[in-house]
Amino acid sequence: MTSMDQAETLTPTAAAKRPAARYPLEALVKWRARLVPGHVLGEIMSKQWIDSAVPATFMVLVIGLFLIVAPGFFTGANISDGGRQLGEFGLVALGMMVVIMGGGIDLSVGSIFALGNFTALALSNLFDWPVAAILPCVIAVCAFAGLINGVLIGYCRLRAFLTTLVSLITIRALVDVLLLEFAVDISAGFYDSAIWDFAGGGNVLGIPTSLIVLIVVAVAIHLFLSRSRLGWHVMAVGGSRRSAHNVGISVRRTVCFTYVLSGALAGLAAFLYAARLGNGGSYPGAGMEIFALTAVIVGGTSLGGGRGSVAKALMGSIMVLMINLGVVQMGLQSGAGQLVLGIILLLAIAIDVRFIRNREKILSRLYMSPTYFRLPEAPDAEQPASPYALNDRLEDVSLIGLGKLDGAEDVIFDKDDNLYCGDRLGNIVRFEAPDYKEGKVFAHIGGHPLGLAFDKQGVLYVCVGGMGLYRVHPDGRAEKATDQTNRSAFSIIDDSRMRLADDLDIAPDGRIFFSEATTRYDMETWPADALESRGSGRIVCYDPEKNTTRTVLRKLVFPNGVCVETGGQSLLFAESWACRISRYWFAGPKEGQVERVIENLPGYPDNINRASDGNYWLALMGMRSPALDLALRMPDFRRRMALEVAPDEWLYPNINTGCVVKLAADGRVLETLWDIHAENHPMITSMREHKGALYLGGILNNRIGKHVLKKADPHWTATASYWGHR
Amino acid sequence: MIAGLAQRLLGMRPAATVPSMDGALRPNRALDEAATLAECAAPDNLVWQDDHLLFTSGKRVLLLDSLHLEGEPEQILHFDGEITALAAAEDGSLAVGLGPSGIVMVGGAHDGRTITALGGRKLIAPTALGFSDPDTLFVCLGSDLHPAADWQRDLLERRATGSVWRVPLDGGAPACLAVQLAWPNGLLLHDGRIAVSEAWRHRLLDFPSRQRGAPRVLLDDLPGYPGRLSPAPDGGAWLSVFAPRTQLVEFVLREDRYRHWMMQTIEPAHWIAPSLRAGLSYKEPMQGGAVKTLGIFKPWAPSRSYGLAVRLDRDFIPTASLHSRADGRRHGVTSCLESKGELIVACKGDDVLVSAELAQEREI
Repeated sequence: MTSMDQAETLTPTAAAKRPAARYPLEALVKWRARLVPGHVLGEIMSKQWIDSAVPATFMVLVIGLFLIVAPGFFTGANISDGGRQLGEFGLVALGMMVVIMGGGIDLSVGSIFALGNFTALALSNLFDWPVAAILPCVIAVCAFAGLINGVLIGYCRLRAFLTTLVSLITIRALVDVLLLEFAVDISAGFYDSAIWDFAGGGNVLGIPTSLIVLIVVAVAIHLFLSRSRLGWHVMAVGGSRRSAHNVGISVRRTVCFTYVLSGALAGLAAFLYAARLGNGGSYPGAGMEIFALTAVIVGGTSLGGGRGSVAKALMGSIMVLMINLGVVQMGLQSGAGQLVLGIILLLAIAIDVRFIRNREKILSRLYMSPTYFRLPEAPDAEQPASPYALNDRLEDVSLIGLGKLDGAEDVIFDKDDNLYCGDRLGNIVRFEAPDYKEGKVFAHIGGHPLGLAFDKQGVLYVCVGGMGLYRVHPDGRAEKATDQTNRSAFSIIDDSRMRLADDLDIAPDGRIFFSEATTRYDMETWPADALESRGSGRIVCYDPEKNTTRTVLRKLVFPNGVCVETGGQSLLFAESWACRISRYWFAGPKEGQVERVIENLPGYPDNINRASDGNYWLALMGMRSPALDLALRMPDFRRRMALEVAPDEWLYPNINTGCVVKLAADGRVLETLWDIHAENHPMITSMREHKGALYLGGILNNRIGKHVLKKADPHWTATASYWGHR
Repeated sequence: MIAGLAQRLLGMRPAATVPSMDGALRPNRALDEAATLAECAAPDNLVWQDDHLLFTSGKRVLLLDSLHLEGEPEQILHFDGEITALAAAEDGSLAVGLGPSGIVMVGGAHDGRTITALGGRKLIAPTALGFSDPDTLFVCLGSDLHPAADWQRDLLERRATGSVWRVPLDGGAPACLAVQLAWPNGLLLHDGRIAVSEAWRHRLLDFPSRQRGAPRVLLDDLPGYPGRLSPAPDGGAWLSVFAPRTQLVEFVLREDRYRHWMMQTIEPAHWIAPSLRAGLSYKEPMQGGAVKTLGIFKPWAPSRSYGLAVRLDRDFIPTASLHSRADGRRHGVTSCLESKGELIVACKGDDVLVSAELAQEREI
């Protein structure tokens, strides 16, 4: 810590002449930022299930409405009867939902339902089949009706609307003809079966059988849609037929399948209905397609296809059924029910369309949530007496791979002096010793390889932005080490996946500690994280022996460089936007503790690596500007800026000027190397000392620089420092 | 009204935008390709006097031989304060604006006369001068509060305290032609009227030059802050645009608290404000598009400084322009003057005087 005091006294900055003023109400802004988790709202909005928010709200409203206008509505008998009806109706609605998600529409569900009802009654009352045979037979008959729809629509490419309309009429006509023939016999017959009665009127733990069936089917369909290949195909086809075709999905078969499923579910519902009422009349299923369609749309499933869920269909079904029953209960005329339904349908569609259309817009306005962050006064590098004083020492560099590299964030050497770096194309590029003229792709991983480290066996571990922690074997074989860690208990976004693994280092026992800069943003959107300056990064430990990954430190402000200290019990890590270096003890008596090493760097720290003299090299990728430092104390200013100014025009950390700092383990700044004119190295993200020279990497640069160090040990290598073999 | 309410209650303001440089203002590299005439600190205030090119550099008035426009500029005058404006009359006399020290006449019938106040107002920032005849001087006062060097503060405080005056040098009271202008700093006399560039409102105004009259907007919504005007030989004018407008500055101009505290606690050189030359210190604010990528600073990068001279036709409609873009080295154009098919441009931000050949096609 002494260095900081020293730096302070050596460099009386211009601002230090003025008192460290607080603007009016700054304390209030600070506490508001601390107490109100502003980022939560945006994270909730980014969840997939938020799509269901509108129908869920609607359902609560409908229930509330009936609680008020029809207080007797929610009585035991009503609920039990309603539950039974819901079980049947919900099945039909689920079938309709799957069809609509696949981009079609099935108007024939009502008629198929009637056909199923007739089949079930005929087989039971007329032919006296056992229930075990009736059920599959009814489902098969209805699935076959669905298959006809499916073949016509899927394979013959007929219009779904017209085809199912025709099915609606013809199947209904067929049922009428059959009923004319058999209605009297059906009514006269009597079917005696305990299972049949249980299916129609039984309860399990007080829950009607049909509702149980619905729940089981709903879970199955949910798993089918969200977890199975065919389910994904259905969504893909509904989302975009052409794209689905282009990626090799059999669109015709998938479409056909949805109608078969819809038919089968209508059959199952019809079986339950037949068992419940034994109604041989002609009206069962009449108008059902309208109700099912309403339920699906009110639930929030998009008519355009590709979007929807089981939960939505069920919510829609509950609403439609409640309104239907409620209207009857309230003694309104039966037409009124349809009228109310129509109005609700219209409203739901309007709201849903607007919500879906604007969801991304709302999200983009809400997601970024800057917080209050006050950095300590920056040391002034423009003062000649400062340990950070400007110089042009890094202008004396020889260049490696100029114009051939694209984004070598980090550089490293193996024990045979070959140089490795990553690039933006996802390659690990290798330059052969001793002249480093030719760069060859050593391995292709993907993502953007960032931090690099060799383990004891000479395996190269790589932090890959957008992917996770990977390793490359000496023969060039690349494989994943880890890409997920334990999920935090109270995190809304899923932080188990790695989004931006940044830099790593390896402890003597082989454990790998690596930083993930942020869990809220991706590789390309890091400036948003800089504007937020929220602690949303972490340090993760991967144990290759046990193959486990655990998060060891959370809520870090863009943790970046990681370097295991020569003692082997602790590591230094940099937090970029917080402009500080800390030490984390991962072993020994202080295990688990974190202590600050430097608190007020004049710039944004990036990678840290060992130097030959026992000290550490630190890259400052950019420098602090007073205008941004002030903006960090005004979260609303930054939020409004993000909304009102184009991202290319945002106030950024100044990453056009960087430097390399040598610091002692106690935080003293020993020397600083600048490329103040930024000819070759505007942004330095990493530096690696190797045999008397310093090699510089930059994530946005197209070259690696080699700067010969005058006073360094010409034989020192990092591999020897870590693993001792030479 | 609804939009206004939404703005108030929800903080939903429209995006901070600036007009794009398009049409006659389409970017080029003409200023960067122009030949260097002279390198000296902060060249400004180009005027012709007897076939000599005069310009100022800090406290000095320098002269360049007009015939070949080469060689070292020769110092002809020296003052104690920074020169903020300069005008030459037909009879060879000069009016020199010296900031808070007022306006000094050099040569001619009124040699040695000093104007330190106009209409009871002490002169703070004489920003532009012009003669209609050797006895009549027109004066732009940029601000009643801030001297010319403090123009960024005047902008950030959103002031409009500038005025334009007609000063009869042979007796008679000075006439105020316009007040409450937002940093008028360029004037051009034409057909009994006077055109004035009003920088902070990004527009050119025009009003009668003899007495006070209703102003007329000649050109507005410029993508930069207009500065001095000079006549073009075939009618029309050249407009120096001394700094660009940027979305970030437009945004900061809405943010009262931030602006206030920035001015209170940060050195002016490091403000979020337009500048004649940006990028001199790492402490200056940097914007996203300005990040150097693969070793290249993009010409389209948002920049607080820019080089731009605009050719206006007789109706003050832009017809052509010369640019030095974000990556250029000819920023902060405060003055330009056309002569024999060449445009002499003072790039105050980059301490250089250049001469650009006016190609025919650029005239459109």
